[in-house]
Amino acid sequence: MSRVDARDKVRGAALYGSDQVPDGLAHAAFATATIDRGQITEVDTTRASEVPGVRLVLTHIDELRPAGFVMGGGFAVQSFQPLTTDRIAYKGQPIALVVADDPVTATYAASLIGATYVTEPFAVSLDDPGATAVVQEEAIPLPFLKDIKFGDADAAIAGSDVRVEQTYDHPPQNPAPMELLASVVEWRGDTLVVHEGTQNAAAVRNGLAQQLGLDASKIEVISPYLGGAFGQKNSLQNHTGPLAVAARRLGRPVKLVLTRPQTFHSGSFRPQSRHRIKVGADRGGRLTAIVHEADQQTSRHDLFPATFTEVSSRLYGVPAFRGRQRLVQTDVQTPGYMRAPFEHPAAWAVESAVDEISYQLGMDPLELKLANDATHDPVTGLPFSSRHVSECLRRGAEMFGWSRRPARPGSWLDPDGAQIGWGVAIGAYPASMTPAVARVTANADGTFQIDVDGHEMGQGIRSAIALLAAELLEADPALIRVGVGDTRVATQHLTAGSWGTASALPAVRAAVLELRPQLGGTLPVTVTASNGLPEAMVERARTGLVTLAGPVYDSFVTFSYVAHFVEVRVEKGTRRIRVPRVVSVADCGAVASPVTAASQVRGAVTWGLGAALREHLELDSRYGGFVNATLEEYPVSVNADIGQIDVDFIDKPDYQLNPVGVKGLGEVSMVGVAGAVSNAVFHATGRRIRKLPITLADLL
Amino acid sequence: MLPFTYFRPRTLDEAIEALRAGGESTKLLAGGTTLYDMMKIGVEAPAAVVDIHLLRELDHLEVRAGELVIGAGARMSAVSAHPEVRRLFPAVSESLWRSASQQLRNMATIGGNLMQRTRCAYFRGGVPYPCNKRDPGTGCAARDGVDGGMAVLGTSDDCIATYPGDLAVALVAFDAVVDVLGPDGARSLPVAQLRPLPGDTPHVEHVLRPGEVITQVRLPITAVAAKSAYLKIRPRESYAFAFASAAVGLVLAGSPAEAAVIECRIALGGVSTVPWRAAAAEQWLIGRPLTEDAARTAGEIAMRGAEPGRANAFKVELGVHTVAQSLLSLSRSES
Amino acid sequence: MVVPTTFTVNDTHQQLDLDPRESLLDVLRERLRITGPKKGCDQGHCGACTVHLDGQRVLSCLTPAVQVEGRHVTTIEGISGPGGGLHPLQEAFIENDALQCGYCTPGQIMSGIACIAEGNAGTDDDIREYMSGNVCRCGAYPGIVAAIRQCAHRTEAS
Repeated sequence: MSRVDARDKVRGAALYGSDQVPDGLAHAAFATATIDRGQITEVDTTRASEVPGVRLVLTHIDELRPAGFVMGGGFAVQSFQPLTTDRIAYKGQPIALVVADDPVTATYAASLIGATYVTEPFAVSLDDPGATAVVQEEAIPLPFLKDIKFGDADAAIAGSDVRVEQTYDHPPQNPAPMELLASVVEWRGDTLVVHEGTQNAAAVRNGLAQQLGLDASKIEVISPYLGGAFGQKNSLQNHTGPLAVAARRLGRPVKLVLTRPQTFHSGSFRPQSRHRIKVGADRGGRLTAIVHEADQQTSRHDLFPATFTEVSSRLYGVPAFRGRQRLVQTDVQTPGYMRAPFEHPAAWAVESAVDEISYQLGMDPLELKLANDATHDPVTGLPFSSRHVSECLRRGAEMFGWSRRPARPGSWLDPDGAQIGWGVAIGAYPASMTPAVARVTANADGTFQIDVDGHEMGQGIRSAIALLAAELLEADPALIRVGVGDTRVATQHLTAGSWGTASALPAVRAAVLELRPQLGGTLPVTVTASNGLPEAMVERARTGLVTLAGPVYDSFVTFSYVAHFVEVRVEKGTRRIRVPRVVSVADCGAVASPVTAASQVRGAVTWGLGAALREHLELDSRYGGFVNATLEEYPVSVNADIGQIDVDFIDKPDYQLNPVGVKGLGEVSMVGVAGAVSNAVFHATGRRIRKLPITLADLL
Repeated sequence: MLPFTYFRPRTLDEAIEALRAGGESTKLLAGGTTLYDMMKIGVEAPAAVVDIHLLRELDHLEVRAGELVIGAGARMSAVSAHPEVRRLFPAVSESLWRSASQQLRNMATIGGNLMQRTRCAYFRGGVPYPCNKRDPGTGCAARDGVDGGMAVLGTSDDCIATYPGDLAVALVAFDAVVDVLGPDGARSLPVAQLRPLPGDTPHVEHVLRPGEVITQVRLPITAVAAKSAYLKIRPRESYAFAFASAAVGLVLAGSPAEAAVIECRIALGGVSTVPWRAAAAEQWLIGRPLTEDAARTAGEIAMRGAEPGRANAFKVELGVHTVAQSLLSLSRSES
Repeated sequence: MVVPTTFTVNDTHQQLDLDPRESLLDVLRERLRITGPKKGCDQGHCGACTVHLDGQRVLSCLTPAVQVEGRHVTTIEGISGPGGGLHPLQEAFIENDALQCGYCTPGQIMSGIACIAEGNAGTDDDIREYMSGNVCRCGAYPGIVAAIRQCAHRTEAS
């Protein structure tokens, strides 16, 4: 079955937040700080206010209360709310909001706003003076953030036949979804209506309620489609509250579309991180222990927690592991959850180190991985509800033709002089579930309406829902309409972390099964059902707070898995790196929607290739902020960069996790790609590059 | 964007008169891909704009009297795809289709492309970055900054901004001339002289006089231009500015085993502040067989004098290889 | 300054008094409520705003709207086939799942139609090169190439 909303999308008929143009619409623009840290002494709005067509200039909004950081028991991308303080916490922070009759006037007037500051020293990268490190488990004493340790890893490594101790540097990166941060906000009577691409309409709603002192029932957040999000739209943005205030004061709907550089400087991003990895093994090829010490950048005002070791402790069945995670406070906007936020850097670092040790052992890296697969969860001792890592590896190896790979690095030359290398790496991602409630209505005309928690950001959640319902109802999928991303029809808990489908589908299934016997009776009939998580969790989710179960459940542990095989070609002379083909095999439980699932994996592989070979936010410690804050300077992959990507699935349902048997897919399929690239570059060239991105400059 | 006056002349003479009357704060608008973009980000703020994008007089392309003549108003995409350009000047065609995207090439004109300003992020970024090109006398943020994309040749203490274009690199390699028309009449100058080195006046980016308009580009038709190619190495495989690029032309003579270079042309882009003709490398190659070693030496000569900063040292080695690889692949395709 | 400007969008006549600063993209989206063309960067770096101007693909974000005087603009809303059905490339995008979030899709399709018409869809490598001005952050590139290849072959065959 093709993607159910594809027809709307190919016609340009799918409406994203900023596509709304209500009557009387006014347009807003931000003026932003040009320093990285300090105190505003004055914002001069005189010239801006005098521009004909300017209706409002806001520099300090008294009535906005704090909404709290989404990972600190609140609702917003960060605890710091611009336009409510004279503090400058990062370069590019909004210092004024201008509202005018049209976009040209608003932008022009915003450019006329001047400010004076008292500047203070600042740090933007891990190595800058003034960047301060805190031990995460001490700074945030929460059970799930405690350092993972089992066995005596250091002693085991010291006593191992072979060992690798290396540091791997991961740069900051930006999700850069095609849709800019943007909202259209309007008051209909005393009800606030927000059109905005968000993965978390519930947090936008409840966060605004808290900010504005409103009852959440007076706020509607409508987000039927996102133009991509990848974690950047996971909570209340900093612009939405100010926009609501502006719309209320003007009595007009207001639209704000942040510019791309503003989106780079306001939106959350993947923070810089550094990984000290130690791996030991015995001569027979058994891994003895792994140590993973990670430093991750955070902001000065929030502790963005890291969970790198949740995955690095579980890639292999090691008897000992020691994790340590530190957060390094810098003067940036609070970083956030960019696709596979911890798992991608963690797996890249560990899979690089494990590859290094395979060469020390003289063992094929694939064999080493197969020999060290885990039989149960090494952290808790619990069984995995499902784990098909070895099968992913075996099937991928066969599809890729791995057996034809020459063992010696730097030995494989194309007739044109290019060096060829093949690399393999695995990935894992926690399978979580969040509360979801589905309301299914059978209409008299034979159509069905399904409203459920979830947001459609390209992963194809509408398709997965329609496909499942169509099968259970024995109905044509075209007769099923799916409502997601709309607080008028469901809570709309955060959709992220690859839990969207695994959370929504069991609720839809439960409701449809309850509805089915009633189809012979009087129509319309409506049934509501949840996905089975405890009612207390459902209640908490209704308040807009993130509410999560897993990956450690009472009697089992659940992760999704993937194996990637990558071919690189390094051109002679110029050392240009190209990736003609990738094979990826994923274990995501049951494949809920085969067409969109395959696209998800290809997209995630594209992300992995970009992260490995191109993407790097450039920090300038003299000025703060990001120097390459445009889609010209921040090189996301283009069509010509991407070759063949072959995808397959294990497709074994995990009925222990939920009755539909689905785990997660969108994130895990990126995890390990960068490791496979790094390992392939080593195999091609004999050069081990322990930082990303790997560019031709590293190989010249 | 600051408000401005918009004027759409019907003839070239009207355009020149409007430019003359408007003075320095009046700018020509053609495809818009540079000027309008820079007006949006506040780097350009003309008081008046003279829109010549539909002036028919400027939109032409023909072969006459041993020359290829390209109107300044011709679109990059049309010139790139033109059969005579592809036949007589493959490097020019390739330099065009490897620039920007097809959408931008459908908009941007040849004359506008020659006047393209640098893409240096500090230049475009505005306040707080000092930039001598944007605000003379303020300094250069790129020096000691994020300089991986910056130039290593033709730099000065005051500016290391890379010349971003591709076409001009090919034009410089093949001795193209621009014809200009202004209040004082017509004149011609080599494309190689259009842009001065930054020196201590990096804000001076061209030698056109007030009111002058580029009307056309003329390229002498030669054997070496017909055997030419353009190699562009960049952060991604398309739609990106060059780390390094080379426009090369090559005529070999003799038996395939001992073919020696009779004529060659080498110009570099992406590594320099202006399109960079490597005449010394060309001369060194004349009479020599094009071995791998010879190609590399030519590349080394071409990159002689490079002064890298913090993160762009790779461009020196990359420039060498870009020249060498483009020469070698051209010689292989010829034999 | 106000510049009276006359043009067509999807064969509908438009007469607007334009500020010369206004981009074609903003005029389409905010004045005419034609929101298929999307804003992904507003500075010529992504291709999401691609429309046809007199049949050629251009970026509407870098086109001052006053420049379309007397010209014909076509957006994704104006390409449906006879009888209002989908354009063959729209069909091919669906068949090859050449999209995910859909935000870049109108620009991809406008670009793809032009790519085929220009004769730049002869090989997969040509398609990749000539479609590289349309960034798809979801990474639907293999599907996009497949859709354009399929549509180009059908166009050739017919």
